[in-house]
Formats: sequence, structure tokens, C-alpha cells
Amino acid sequence: MRAKTAKSAVLIAAAGLLVCAAPMFAHHSFAAEYDANKPVSFKGTVTKVEWTNPHARFYVDVKDANGKVTNWNFELASPNVLSRNGWTRHSLKEGDTISVQGSQAKDGAFLANARTVTLADGRKVFAGSNTDNEGK
Amino acid sequence: MNKYCITLAALAASLPLSAQNRPSAGAVATSPAGGSVQAATAPAVGNRRRAPERPKGPTPHLADGTVDLSGVWNGGGPIGDIAQGLKNGEKAEMTPAGERLFKSRQSKDDPEANCLPTGVPRIAPYPWRIVQTPTHVFFLFEGNIHSFRQIFVDGRKHPDDPDPTWYGHSIGHYEGNSLIVDTIGYNDKFWFDFAGHPHSESLHTIEKYTRSDLGTLEVETQIIDPVYYVKPFTLHFTATLRPKEELMEYICQENQVDAQHLIGGAGLN
Repeated sequence: MRAKTAKSAVLIAAAGLLVCAAPMFAHHSFAAEYDANKPVSFKGTVTKVEWTNPHARFYVDVKDANGKVTNWNFELASPNVLSRNGWTRHSLKEGDTISVQGSQAKDGAFLANARTVTLADGRKVFAGSNTDNEGK
Repeated sequence: MNKYCITLAALAASLPLSAQNRPSAGAVATSPAGGSVQAATAPAVGNRRRAPERPKGPTPHLADGTVDLSGVWNGGGPIGDIAQGLKNGEKAEMTPAGERLFKSRQSKDDPEANCLPTGVPRIAPYPWRIVQTPTHVFFLFEGNIHSFRQIFVDGRKHPDDPDPTWYGHSIGHYEGNSLIVDTIGYNDKFWFDFAGHPHSESLHTIEKYTRSDLGTLEVETQIIDPVYYVKPFTLHFTATLRPKEELMEYICQENQVDAQHLIGGAGLN
């Protein structure tokens, strides 16, 4: 029901859409884990989805130019934040071919914070954590 | 607003989700360092929810005239840095011992990142609920590891030697539209913010929660900790009522895999 509502009309702030280069304010420091200035973009097949706190995660097999496949771990916002933004636990499924943009982990792990995801049905959706921070 | 945030101006009105399939405009915005960043990495023209409007109306009261603080709130404390809550040039000036501890802290050790409680006055970026009874006030936290605070409003005193705990021992009373909460007996384990501001077991906080209107909860917190701060200081934050929100389950320990990837000194974001 909520997803249908989200489909019918997605409100964008009238005065301007605020977009954060660094999805801030998870339960951990963003800047200590990810490099916001080095965006990454991948396309691949979803191998696993974890609809869990403190972050939902999904794993994607990504093939490089040489055909080598690497399994990447993409961090989403929490299921709570995602649900409030219209996601469901079915939005991403094993076997889906998706593309994702985000920020890679600073420590070099095959780990990234997903900012936007283009789902299997072509919808491009926001995946970050930077909501609900008014009032400081 | 956070320094990393950029504004894509002039995007107005509502947009059907199907429109998200359209190629996004290649807008360019200013990065924190003053250079440009690709908006192509963040045209979050997605289903992100706009923050709800702050409800308007007069301050509500219970049948006996006590200010009614109940409801689901968002915000009301520091997340990134306590300095965000200082006013009028006030500083949270640390003692040499406080400075040493502050500078030594590493992001990976932040209790919040390790799914331990925020303590006081730090807040998690999730809704929380105030529940009032004649004898107790409860703060129920969705985030902040799904824990709670209890504040005794039955007139009791602090114990002489409370065991140090994450939320301490809190006693409260009402003054007009405010609840005053006095807390001692904290442990020294939690951090005040991502920046890593410290405190000792000598910490004493005096919080004032004022419902200035229906949708606004002003939160003033006086921090008294002579071990790590030269003098007391007061933080000012504002929580917003979320009347349509319900708390959701948030078991932080379920799948915590971030802390081992955090590198470097404690920082703002």
C-alpha cells in the first residue's frame, strides 16, 4: 500500500531538492568508513539481500573488463528508513540485474555505501540515510 | 544543514515515480572543498520522503494541568558534534585531560557505531517516544539500540552512590510547560557525538524539556563535568513532533558490520 502511494506521487521539496553528497548520520561516522569524493558505479546481479538493522545490505556479483567476478557488499539505509521512504523487503531480490551508485569503503574492502539504485524494473531510487535530521 | 549537502534548486512540485526513469539532468553542485561533484552520483529523484511539516497548535496539557509531552518526536540532541548546540559564543572548553582523551579517540571505537547506547545528550537519527505516567516518564528510543530511559517524577531523591550506568539515575519535576530532569550516576563509556567529546563518571546533566507549542519540544541540556570540562555549558536542540509516526523495531546488533571498517580519528560525520 505504501509502495503504491510512493508510486503515485513522489514529492520533491518545492524550494529545491536537498541532496547530500555524503549520506550522513547513520549509527556510525560516514566519513570514517566511506570516501564521498570517490563515487563508484556498478552493474551486476544481486546474489543476496539482508533486510536487517542497523543497515539493509545487498550483495552483487560484478564482472570486470577481464571477466573476473567480484562480489560486492552494498550498504543501504536501515530497513526502517527505507520502509518510510517507500521501499519494501521485496524491492531487491536475488537474481535481479541492477545498477548502483555510491561511495567505496576507504579501507579497500569490496564494500560501498549505496546512494542510488536502479532496480530491476528500471526505477531509480534513493538508498541513503540522510533523512530526518531537521531540528539538529 | 550539513556541510556536505548540496542543493539542486528549482525542482518543484510532485513527480510520478515513473518519471524517475527519465535521464537525470547533469547538474553540477559545489563540493565541501569548493570544487564540483557530479550530480550524476546523487540525483536522488527517488522515493525519499520529505520531512513532514512541524504540526502547529497550542501546547497541550493533561487533565491535571501538567504539560503533555507525550508523542513521537524526532531530533532534540547532538549527533555529529555538541558544538552544533552551543549558543551565544559559549564553548565546551575541555580540560587538558579532556583534550587528550578527545584527540585520542578513533571512529571505530565509537560506542554508537558498535551498537551501544548513546547516553545523554546524544540522539540517534530515529524517532523516539515520550510516555508519561504520574510517577515515571519514559523515553522509548527506536534507534539508540531500541533502548529506553526512565525518569522518576514521584519526588524521590538520587541514591547516595548509584552504580554508573549508560543513562544514569534521573529524577524529574514539572515547571510550567517544562520537565526538568536531573541525572547523575553515568558511566564514562558513551560519547557525546561522532566527534568523540568525552565525559567522566562525574557527569551531571540538567535537562529542560519545554513543549513550546504542539509540534515543538525545546531541549536544553546543561553539562557539568569538572573532570573533562573547564566549566558547565548548555546545549540547545529542538525536537519535532511526528504525529503520524510509530516506532519500529531496530535491533542494531542484528547485523553490525561497520565498526571494523571505520578508520581514522573520530570525526563529525
